[in-house]
Amino acid sequence: MTQSSIPLARERRNGVRSAFAGVGRNYYLMGILSGIAFLAVWQGVSMNVPPIILPTPASVMTALIQLTASGELVKATIQTIWPFAIGLVVAFVVGTVFGLLLGIFRPAARVLDPYIFVFWSIPDIAWLPLFIAWLGVGNLTLVVFVFMSAVFPQLLTVEAGAKEADSFLVEVARSLGGTKHEILRAVVLPSALPYIIAGLRIAVGRALVGIIVGQLLIVATGIGYMFQFYGETLSLAKYFAPLIVVAALAIALNRGVNWAERVFIPWKLRAFT
Amino acid sequence: MPELEFINVRKSYESPTGDRLTALDNFTLKVDGGRFVTVVGPSGCGKTTLLRMAGGLIPWDSGGEIRLDGDVLEGPSPKMSMVFQGIGLMPWKTIGENVALGVQMQVHRAKLTAEEDQLVHATLAMVGLKGFERYYPYQLSGGMQQRVGLARALVRQPEILLMDEPFGALDAQTRTVLQDELLTLWGRVKTTVLFITHDLDEAIYLSDIVVIMGRRPGRIKEVLDVNLPQPRYTYDARAEKEFARLRSIAWQSLREEL
Repeated sequence: MTQSSIPLARERRNGVRSAFAGVGRNYYLMGILSGIAFLAVWQGVSMNVPPIILPTPASVMTALIQLTASGELVKATIQTIWPFAIGLVVAFVVGTVFGLLLGIFRPAARVLDPYIFVFWSIPDIAWLPLFIAWLGVGNLTLVVFVFMSAVFPQLLTVEAGAKEADSFLVEVARSLGGTKHEILRAVVLPSALPYIIAGLRIAVGRALVGIIVGQLLIVATGIGYMFQFYGETLSLAKYFAPLIVVAALAIALNRGVNWAERVFIPWKLRAFT
Repeated sequence: MPELEFINVRKSYESPTGDRLTALDNFTLKVDGGRFVTVVGPSGCGKTTLLRMAGGLIPWDSGGEIRLDGDVLEGPSPKMSMVFQGIGLMPWKTIGENVALGVQMQVHRAKLTAEEDQLVHATLAMVGLKGFERYYPYQLSGGMQQRVGLARALVRQPEILLMDEPFGALDAQTRTVLQDELLTLWGRVKTTVLFITHDLDEAIYLSDIVVIMGRRPGRIKEVLDVNLPQPRYTYDARAEKEFARLRSIAWQSLREEL
């Protein structure tokens, strides 16, 4: 109740703000309006430059329909999603498990942290030639590259989370007679959960970059290859189709993480809704 | 009735500059079974240190002893429960799960029996939180959260209840209400209570015995018997002459330490 009354009071004081007050609360309307504005600007610019610089929204839509109907886009999307998903899932599991272990067993972390830091600091792209030499040019290389892109943010975030367990809550659990194992289950693991989700959010983004870069630069399949092919042949209308797929994929994945956040950490008070 | 005994307890820390800092010295006190004993003192007098040692959370210096029922205390005991000013509810557990944790860590078993489960509900009802089992701590006010803290302690059916300024962070009205509820509960469960506070009125109102501490190093300065009949919420104990007399003596003693 108070949550909604506070902004209202502010809006009454501020005349400019009150004009947009209704819009601010209607996310659908806000989304549609911003979408229309975006398309209008795109249309306006594309009408004033050659199509080789920026195609019109309509020609992009046509290309999207064509590529979908021919099956090319669907096939490319599947070729992209599989190595992406496998690499991301393995990175998530490995990053979470090792992050927890390193966060809990500090002596192990003191030994391993420098190595992790070194691997983490090397730009992912620098691994590619090595992976090709070791694994050849194929899906396995893509999976490993996605894994390498995503595993370190997951691991480091979870490790930080497992270290962060509130020392007061640990003391409370000790006062109740909790054993090490019980304290781990009741205090340390739950307090690391928000970090596991936060790590996933970063890992998803990095894995997506990894798969596109990998397909664009080496393996020449899937969405990444579509970028390369239509980019080099300057078929920009068709170039935008995979771009839309990647954007849709990114949005869907982000929604998935939001959902996981709501389901797995329901106790988190959201400061901003 | 179980009793808690401090014999010549001393606690010192090493300061960053290398010399020893004595937080508590020569502390000898016998808390008889079933009594409500409050330790009151200025901040920095070592009263929280005292309670954490009594709870088995930190060790004391060699030479002294803390005995529970005659046995030297070795770590947190399932016979005791602690209540903290910071409450310390697990934010990821519901109210019911938080109270259940008190039993789970006492019996070292995650699955509660039907009987234990019943006890969790009954204890929540006892502190006035029937029906709040499925709420999360953040959905409750500070006073209600401390009731949960109390329930988590009482569900263990402790022989000794250790309370570290449990109402210190609450507003004045809520504090008064909870003081009365604590006395009511104590009348029902009859455990031994060791209570820490810096609030003199609270100390006199609640307890049978008030221990006044001096500071640096913390030590016992004065022990007062409070001869006001229990239960005190049945009459206006704070308006009694005896209350004013004790308050005045205690205040004289305490102010020299501020």
